[in-house]
Amino acid sequence: MTLLRVEHVDKSYGDEEVLHDVSFEMQRQDVEVIVGPSGSGKSTLLRCVNRLTEIDDGAIYLDGEEIHALDENELRRRVGMVFQDFNLFAHRTARGNVTLGLRQVLGMPREEAEATADDYLERVGLADQAESYPAELSGGQQQRVGIARALAMEPELILFDEPTSALDPELIGEVLSVMRDLADEGTTMLCVTHEMGFARSAASRITFLDDGRIVERGPPETLFEDPEHERTRAFLGELAGIQ
Amino acid sequence: MTTTDVDQTAVGELPGRRRLAVGAVGVVFWAWLLARWASHNTLLDRLFTALGAPNLVQSELGVRQREPWLPAEPFQAASDGVADVAASLGPASVLLEWLAWLFDLAAFATTIGPQLAAGAFVTVYLTVLSMLLGLLLAVPLSVARVYGGPVLSRISLAYTELIRGTPLLAQLFFLYFGLPLAGFIDSFGFVGSGGVPRAAVFVAIVGFTINSSAYQSEYIRAALQSVDPGQLTAARSIGLSKLQGIRYVVLPQGLRFAIPGWTNEFVYLIKYSSLAAFITVPELFRRARNIGSDTFQFTDVYVIVALFYLALVLTTALAMGKLEQAVAIPGLGRGADRD
Repeated sequence: MTLLRVEHVDKSYGDEEVLHDVSFEMQRQDVEVIVGPSGSGKSTLLRCVNRLTEIDDGAIYLDGEEIHALDENELRRRVGMVFQDFNLFAHRTARGNVTLGLRQVLGMPREEAEATADDYLERVGLADQAESYPAELSGGQQQRVGIARALAMEPELILFDEPTSALDPELIGEVLSVMRDLADEGTTMLCVTHEMGFARSAASRITFLDDGRIVERGPPETLFEDPEHERTRAFLGELAGIQ
Repeated sequence: MTTTDVDQTAVGELPGRRRLAVGAVGVVFWAWLLARWASHNTLLDRLFTALGAPNLVQSELGVRQREPWLPAEPFQAASDGVADVAASLGPASVLLEWLAWLFDLAAFATTIGPQLAAGAFVTVYLTVLSMLLGLLLAVPLSVARVYGGPVLSRISLAYTELIRGTPLLAQLFFLYFGLPLAGFIDSFGFVGSGGVPRAAVFVAIVGFTINSSAYQSEYIRAALQSVDPGQLTAARSIGLSKLQGIRYVVLPQGLRFAIPGWTNEFVYLIKYSSLAAFITVPELFRRARNIGSDTFQFTDVYVIVALFYLALVLTTALAMGKLEQAVAIPGLGRGADRD
């Protein structure tokens, strides 16, 4: 069943065209990985889906509804987001980060919200850090709180914007393992990431974006083993070489 | 926590023993001041009278007039004695003459202390009320300035620049003499009787609130802009509206960052509140000026009143430093990592 349909999306910043005629579809429980060189429009594409950025042309449908027909707060409740720089609320504990949306957006009573938050923190392996403030946590722990915060809203789709790019190498594993668990549990995820190991093992499809255009899209085996375009082979080869 | 890494205020930075000495002076000063306020407070007097204990607090309207608790005579005698010795020693006695002047000053201070305490009471409530009311205005002003879009932010900017660009004294004169504000306030029956201050005090509070709100909004604006924009983005990404994001995520952090600047404004207002003297508010400076006119000891009274202001300012700086510590975000320490 189609959850997300992106149709002919264009987006420019001034004269600079960031996205050009981008179209693709995601089914429920799909894990879509978007790769591409920096500046290729990956993050912009993600932000268009929850309307942190507005598209210039085209249409985006979430579960059949055009997202611009939805209230933007309602849309964002249904589409979670995990950020490269975590963006945890600095003045709130790990638990407080998760409860804010539960209390203010979903209107949950305090005790229920706290119990729910603790459940999600446990899911990302941070039950013992509920009282810690972001500045007291490692990068990997902060990002896992970020994931718990997004998950707790029970979104239909979660956007991951380079969730491991700001992490020290030894902390990447703990975040990827949480993401892998989510994928296994059937969470629908749209991920911008350069973690090829994760892409290879967890992605249902990989999209290669270059210069605002989709160059190639397909299951991981095809893109890694037998890509249609030389550019795809070169880029993925380069990434694999780095890792 | 050690004292050196948490206290940045002047008093707090002093090493152990000197800190103790300054603290002791502060405690004695405040004990005396609070006792003075309590014993001459008309509102407290009425309250205790209503509670059936009319003699517990004796207001200035009550039985006793403002009398000094400490006798001036011993200080005066000491001053005279030292002066006599100095006179007998001839020109070599400059230090002794200074000592005589200090005793003389102490004697004078005990005499005028009660009046200055009453003035300090007005200064303190004028400043504290104006700061708090100013904050209530400054928060929406600064939010409008940063997040308000073209129209609201320009209105806020115009207000801020108008208020900051004109002299405070001119603003007070305009409110007091130029507008029928005082008459309007006086038309409420309770103003000016039974412990409620006269209209001039209300006009001063209005003036200081308006003035202070403009300055405070600038400090808060700067603090809001120093909050990482990703914080609001994250708030919006979980479905909070922009206003909710500002209220629950940006303001709690921004207001913490604003405390040092806010302290600055607080300290300024304590001193600028002396301008209320020119619209007849009987605050600290006006009492000092009146005492000077009566006694012609202008130098002495201004030295003493300067010490009062100094004590109020140091206390404020110390208290705000404590507040900043108390609300600091764990792991961030005094807003160090706020890039």
